[in-house]
Amino acid sequence: MLQRAVYRTFRTLSAADHWVGRRFTPGGRLLLAALSGAAVLGLDTNQTVAYQAFTFLFAVLLLAIGASVFFRGRVTARRLLPRFATAGEPVVYRLVVANPTGRPLAGLVLLEDLADPRPSLDEFLHADEAAEAADNWWDRLIGYPRWQALVEARRGAVAEPRPLPALPPRGAAEVRVELTPVRRGHLRFTGVTVARPDPLGLFRAFRRLTLPQSLLVLPRRYPVPPIRLPGIRKFQPGGVAFASSVGDSEEFVSLRDYRPGDPPRRIHWRSWARVGRPVVREYQDEFFVRHALVLDTFARTEHGERLEAAVSVAASLACALETGEALLDLMFVGAQAYCFTAGRGLAHVDQVLEILAGVRACRDEPFAALHRLVAGRAAALSGCIAVLLAWDAPRQAFVSHLDGLGVPTLVLLVSDEREPAPTETGTGVRLHRLEVGKLAEGLARL
Amino acid sequence: MNTPPGLVGAALLFWGWQTGLAVLAVPFALLLEGARLVGWRWDLARAELDRVADLCRLILVALAVYLAATRGSARVVLGLVEWFPLAVLPLVVCQAYGTGDRIGLRTFFLILRRRTSAGDQPVDPAYPYVALCMAAASAANVRSPGFYLGLCALTAWALWSQKPAAAARPVWLGMLAVGAVAGYGGHLGLHELQAVVESTLADWVFDYMGRDTDPYRSRTAIGSIGRLKLSDRIVLRVDTGEPVSGPLLLHEASYNFYAGGVWGAVDAGFEAVPPEPDRRTWQLLPATAPADALTVSVYLKRGRGVVPLPPGTFRVDGLLALQMKRNRLGAVKVEEGLGLASYRALFAPTVSLDGAPTEMDLRIAKLEGPLLARLAAELGLPAKSPREALGTITAYLRERFRYSTYLAGPPRGAAALEDFFLRSRAGHCEYFATATVLLLRAAGIPARYATGYSVQEWSPREGRYLVRARHAHAWAVAHVEGGWRDLDTTPSVWASAEAEGAARWEPLTDLASWAFFLFSRWRWGDREAGMVRYAGWLLLPLFGVLAWRLYFRRRVAREAAAAASAVAPRPRPGEDSEFYLIERHFAERGLGRRPAEPVAHWLARIRTAGPTGVTLERLPAIAALHYRYRFDPRGLGDAERHALQAGVHAWLAEHAGSR
Repeated sequence: MLQRAVYRTFRTLSAADHWVGRRFTPGGRLLLAALSGAAVLGLDTNQTVAYQAFTFLFAVLLLAIGASVFFRGRVTARRLLPRFATAGEPVVYRLVVANPTGRPLAGLVLLEDLADPRPSLDEFLHADEAAEAADNWWDRLIGYPRWQALVEARRGAVAEPRPLPALPPRGAAEVRVELTPVRRGHLRFTGVTVARPDPLGLFRAFRRLTLPQSLLVLPRRYPVPPIRLPGIRKFQPGGVAFASSVGDSEEFVSLRDYRPGDPPRRIHWRSWARVGRPVVREYQDEFFVRHALVLDTFARTEHGERLEAAVSVAASLACALETGEALLDLMFVGAQAYCFTAGRGLAHVDQVLEILAGVRACRDEPFAALHRLVAGRAAALSGCIAVLLAWDAPRQAFVSHLDGLGVPTLVLLVSDEREPAPTETGTGVRLHRLEVGKLAEGLARL
Repeated sequence: MNTPPGLVGAALLFWGWQTGLAVLAVPFALLLEGARLVGWRWDLARAELDRVADLCRLILVALAVYLAATRGSARVVLGLVEWFPLAVLPLVVCQAYGTGDRIGLRTFFLILRRRTSAGDQPVDPAYPYVALCMAAASAANVRSPGFYLGLCALTAWALWSQKPAAAARPVWLGMLAVGAVAGYGGHLGLHELQAVVESTLADWVFDYMGRDTDPYRSRTAIGSIGRLKLSDRIVLRVDTGEPVSGPLLLHEASYNFYAGGVWGAVDAGFEAVPPEPDRRTWQLLPATAPADALTVSVYLKRGRGVVPLPPGTFRVDGLLALQMKRNRLGAVKVEEGLGLASYRALFAPTVSLDGAPTEMDLRIAKLEGPLLARLAAELGLPAKSPREALGTITAYLRERFRYSTYLAGPPRGAAALEDFFLRSRAGHCEYFATATVLLLRAAGIPARYATGYSVQEWSPREGRYLVRARHAHAWAVAHVEGGWRDLDTTPSVWASAEAEGAARWEPLTDLASWAFFLFSRWRWGDREAGMVRYAGWLLLPLFGVLAWRLYFRRRVAREAAAAASAVAPRPRPGEDSEFYLIERHFAERGLGRRPAEPVAHWLARIRTAGPTGVTLERLPAIAALHYRYRFDPRGLGDAERHALQAGVHAWLAEHAGSR
């Protein structure tokens, strides 16, 4: 009950904060703060003369807000987005604003409308409680840090108001908008707001244009030194084509006599007719290196720091691994078990990153699902890099199983600096510990 | 600073002008604006800014302590607001002379410093500082047009610097002018509104108040039952120099209208008493001689309230207040005074603060009318002269009635007075005073009901009279022979009866009260020159903080030392080799081994120096053993260790006398 009330309060306050932040210019916000201060200080009109400041500021602010009523701002806008952006790195795109009216428009400001970052009640109630252990009892009870963390995790990007050049009558102007996506996934734009501050420069009049669009933000990536993965080339039944989809290897080698057990569809009928005994076509057996990049998505929260770190690590590795001559299987469990193969011209790294951009935490299945997925393909794997979020019994079992199957494995354990983590796996498997927040250093030491 | 040139300085000057601290404001304004003229800048790291912010906080705390001690806790907040621009000045100076344009929010708020995960949001403190100066100026409460004009001018200046390029100047000017005019009208209206709301609320509140001295209304305990118990708290101190003989009453307020247990003051509006130029002396009536004088010390809540005065007071000395008011019923109240008012009242028996009698002073309510008429007739009052009537009434009440603070039986409400006259014939001072006033009125003598305190308890320890809450008293004032006379008909046993109920721990509370009184007298005392004298005390908390910080540092150092000593006991192997004794032997003769000099080199050097009476032949063998003892990972065997020891001691024994 309390939590619900708290949620409603946060939601309302957050909306008010958002409104004030967009509607008021920095000067207007200072004036608003001064107005509140004067209201408190001037409560007793006999004690101070702050009430004089209050009435003056109030009148000025009221006039500024009143002046915004007369803004029409009939403009149209078109946003030209690039295909991808990367989390944490500013992306620049163009926005074309046109003025269809016969009057020039000047002094306008452009604000991007992004999707609402406020969490739903369900998300708020079921947020990760372990992360709150560091907070005091009051923060745990009220949950403001939790709210802040959720909003921060869901906020797609940071966009500053951008001044628009003067728009001539029936003319258009192009602005370059810079925006910094803060997390991977789809950055959703709902529209564009064209604003005009009032003559005193305190309050902005708004004209909202609906312009829904979406930009795929790839995970943050870090430089990774060249990794020499252990392992040998393995027989790939069906060859490259079959490696990712159904098909047959087309690499023809020779003809030879039929041996019992050869599939009848390989019989070369014309040779049989010529030589009088069954002859079959023989194809090249495909042997090549195939690596698995196993991503552990079994996190407790949707946008937990640790999962994000693990995705970043996977993305960095996917970019770093030489995929010209080898195949790379990206394996993880989301809504279902996924295995995506790239390399040797099958698919490009971009596609791996796109997939990683959309990875979500898996909370309804145990780790064993991933274990099964990888074990089922272990025979074809030359090596495996496992990006793990914890080092508990199921994960240890997974690693020792791979070790037992003879798959050379590198374990990258993403952990907090607070928690002690083992640096040995107990088997021959290499374990490398990466600390959240120090991923670049950790990866550089690989 | 990205403010327009001169704005911050002007805001600071405005603050100085309003608060009367121009002496401070002018140099600081020059200091801040001077940053634009100098070419150099400080390169301040965040940690340094944090330290400066800590200094500001310390100044604030010191200010708060000082204000709490000198102005009273109620005024600390306003005082702090008034001085705030000075407290944060170090930070603003650092920003003005620093390389950075902005200061992180973490510097301002300690709570953010602890949260390492939150990003630091840099802010520019220049404009907020201008706003702060204006807020501080408002706290000075100077009610002249200057404040509003200055406020509008500074705001306009700040807004002009942020004016959108597209905004037309006439529109901008017009909007601001309209805002200024509307704001002016608005604040006049707001002030009026508060006055209306306050007086309405005050009426409601007074209805619920019991014994607080309200010059308009006095709710008595007439009609209520059970034991009437007043507290032993000391409310007044009266200095008469020495104990006086006879009763001494301090008058607070008089009332002229009685109904249903409540005395009210009708037609008793307050008028301001013009102060003498020193704002401490108040001439209430023309001076009279001969006159007596006494000094009263009374606590005033928030510096306002009715002041008790002896009857016939014509002048009050040494009462520092913004305003004093009196009404025609003899009540005197002050506003905007100090928490403890100590004043000297000059009084003469021939004059009175009470105004001339009116027909209100003869009125008897319908309810009590028939009863009082009958009683007056019984006593034969109408036929008597006023002086005789006074005597008759006093005798009647003194002889036929007794004093009691305990009233049994069902609540009597409006019929309480009838019960007092006809049945119980017992009551406390309010009954007696009310009965006296009403009987006097029935006899045709104008009379009023007066409340105040009876001064009766001499404290040898303090050398003055103490007046407790239980000494609150009521009596009658009668207008006879052209003047007002106090008439106290309450049996004189009342004082001892009240004193019986004193708590056993009264001496202790008295002692505490005395201590508090001494403190209050210091705190509210005349201290125009004494500020510096007491400033030392105010520095105490600062020194406390400093000492704590030093202790904390020391503790860190001690812990570090402890940690170092925990490391130290790891001895180097061979540290206890006896060979060092030989080294010392040569060192004493000026042939000591130099730092990092190999032993073999050293021995060779000694040999070339050729000291007399020294045999060097055995030393290389001893040195070899010593080397092995020092550096051989396997160390020495027991026999070899023994050989080293024996060799060294033998050599030393041979050369013992050769120094």
